[in-house]
Amino acid sequence: MDTFGLLMEGFAIALSWDNLLYALIGVSVGMLVGILPGLGPSAGTALLIPLTFGMDPTSAIVMLAAIFYGSMYGGTITTVLVNVPGEAASVITGLDGYPMAQQGRAGVALGISAIGSFIGGVVAIIGVVLVAPMMVKFALSFGPPEFFALILFGLTMVVGLAGKSVIRGMIAVLIGLLLAMYGMAPSSGVVRYSFGITHLIDGFNFVTIAMGLFGLSEILIGMEQQLKNPIKPPAVKGMFPSRKEWKPSAASIGRGTVLGFFMGLIPGTSSVVPALMSYSMEKRLAKDPSRFGKGAIEGVAGPETANNSFTGGALIPLFLLGIPSSATMAVLMGAFILHGLQPGPTLFIQHSDFVWAVLASMFIGNAMLLFMNLPMAGMWAKIASVPFKLLFPIIIAVSIVGTYSISNSLWDVGGLLFFGLVGYLFKKADIPVAPIALTFILGVMMEEALLQTLAIYKGSFLPIFTRPLAGTLMAMSVIALSLSIYAGFKNKKDNLADSEA
Amino acid sequence: MLKNYAMWIGLLVFGFAAMMFYGSFSMQYYGPYGPGPGFFPRWISGVLAAVALLYIGDSIRKEKRISFAEAFPTGVVLVRLLTIVASILIFIFIAPFTGYIIASVLVMLMLLLPDVKWYTSVAVAVSVSLALFFVFDTFLNIPLPANALGW
Repeated sequence: MDTFGLLMEGFAIALSWDNLLYALIGVSVGMLVGILPGLGPSAGTALLIPLTFGMDPTSAIVMLAAIFYGSMYGGTITTVLVNVPGEAASVITGLDGYPMAQQGRAGVALGISAIGSFIGGVVAIIGVVLVAPMMVKFALSFGPPEFFALILFGLTMVVGLAGKSVIRGMIAVLIGLLLAMYGMAPSSGVVRYSFGITHLIDGFNFVTIAMGLFGLSEILIGMEQQLKNPIKPPAVKGMFPSRKEWKPSAASIGRGTVLGFFMGLIPGTSSVVPALMSYSMEKRLAKDPSRFGKGAIEGVAGPETANNSFTGGALIPLFLLGIPSSATMAVLMGAFILHGLQPGPTLFIQHSDFVWAVLASMFIGNAMLLFMNLPMAGMWAKIASVPFKLLFPIIIAVSIVGTYSISNSLWDVGGLLFFGLVGYLFKKADIPVAPIALTFILGVMMEEALLQTLAIYKGSFLPIFTRPLAGTLMAMSVIALSLSIYAGFKNKKDNLADSEA
Repeated sequence: MLKNYAMWIGLLVFGFAAMMFYGSFSMQYYGPYGPGPGFFPRWISGVLAAVALLYIGDSIRKEKRISFAEAFPTGVVLVRLLTIVASILIFIFIAPFTGYIIASVLVMLMLLLPDVKWYTSVAVAVSVSLALFFVFDTFLNIPLPANALGW
């Protein structure tokens, strides 16, 4: 069947009442997660995974994916209104969005973000629909050496982009990999590092790690900030830009869409990267760059579009290769595996109804979000003023019951506390925590790929370097790592480090 | 030196790496069919140990030092943070006896009462706990910790 026919079948599933409902719940929760401080998209998605245990896989992923892209919209609201980004990618939006709000133009900033996000999101999904089926064959040509090389390349990108220093990024990446070593080893089946504890025979659970590192640690950090200075958002009115702003905004949205989509294809980039790149591109292209930072509409339109089209583009490596490009994607992939769906080239063939239904639902979800963000922006803005002191106990209660339900055991609640504290302590030492969760998922895959390579080629590492695709990826890894080390020495790390502060 | 928080984190990471490295020796490093289960952990923990030392070296440089006083809050904020930790611990220890609902209400009250009026606290704690119990236990059929009466 052709792509169009498949997509229409997908729509047939996605438009069923229950899937529409799950998409609506997903985008609403996503908006909430984005808006509420102290809870990012990774945490929000992880928190709701337990709720999907009883659902059929399609509905579950429809809902969880909706949380993910919904949070990209929601994050904008708090950023623009109070300059407290609900999720990392919105940090960039705050550079010009917050000044716009201070000039009484909060509505316009939110309006253009919603429009840009919608266009970026929808065009990127169209891109996925058109490109992904053609790439299945290409993905099938990936053997174990290519997988190993690609994951390694992803890791080097994570290290380079993780934040303030290469050393700190490497610590996070390596700890994630080591945590993946607990439990059953691939191919041999030997139980590693169980220390005689039954719960450790299966290793650590990804949902526990994600909820602790993202959810609980963000609450602990947020708690400190909120007690120091609580926030109050301004009112929202007038959603549309003035006539002379339409043209530059449209151009920024166009550029942001393309940029975000292609950045999504590269494993290891987080949604901050396309947003940041779009911002600096807009600034460079602008006739009068001095307006940036003082409320330039392009500085809002471009990055907001880019981070949404990124979420679309990132679906390609996730669906086709089973490689998550960001921490939130890793959480989504964890959900895939929990529901018995192994992402990879065969996903498109064996579970094509699932893939197309999820893609179709993303069109619907984005349309819902456009509606929620244009006519209803004022309502969401009010939610942003729900006090944190009322909110965080609820989030903790949900986290506790959520982690408990992973395996009906208090062991995982203890895990939540443990990883929450680890995340808190690491953030205080400037060690980024998102890579830990990401590489935890990649660790087992990487080891498996290496062991398979060595088994196929009788113990020789050479094919990883000599097979054309794998070799290229290895070369790119070396370049990526040396570039970030070089940049570290020159102390000229791009403004990414600052934006994370 | 001793007041440098980052250095202590570095030592902790080094300790973790060393433990994993040591543990990898009890597993087969290389078998007849290629690398064994000890291969990957040994390399990764070895590299992590090296990176941890670099981190320690980096963190004791003057401009990179993070003192405990800078890193952590004091007074009320610290007490509140510890309350969160304590509340989760209490849940773990009492839930098997009191059942989910009582434990969850107690946790939420611990977190709400310091900032929120008592009647709002009670209303939020009870309604959220009941809602979660209903969604997970009744609706999703995930058995939550129960007391002798079954809730």
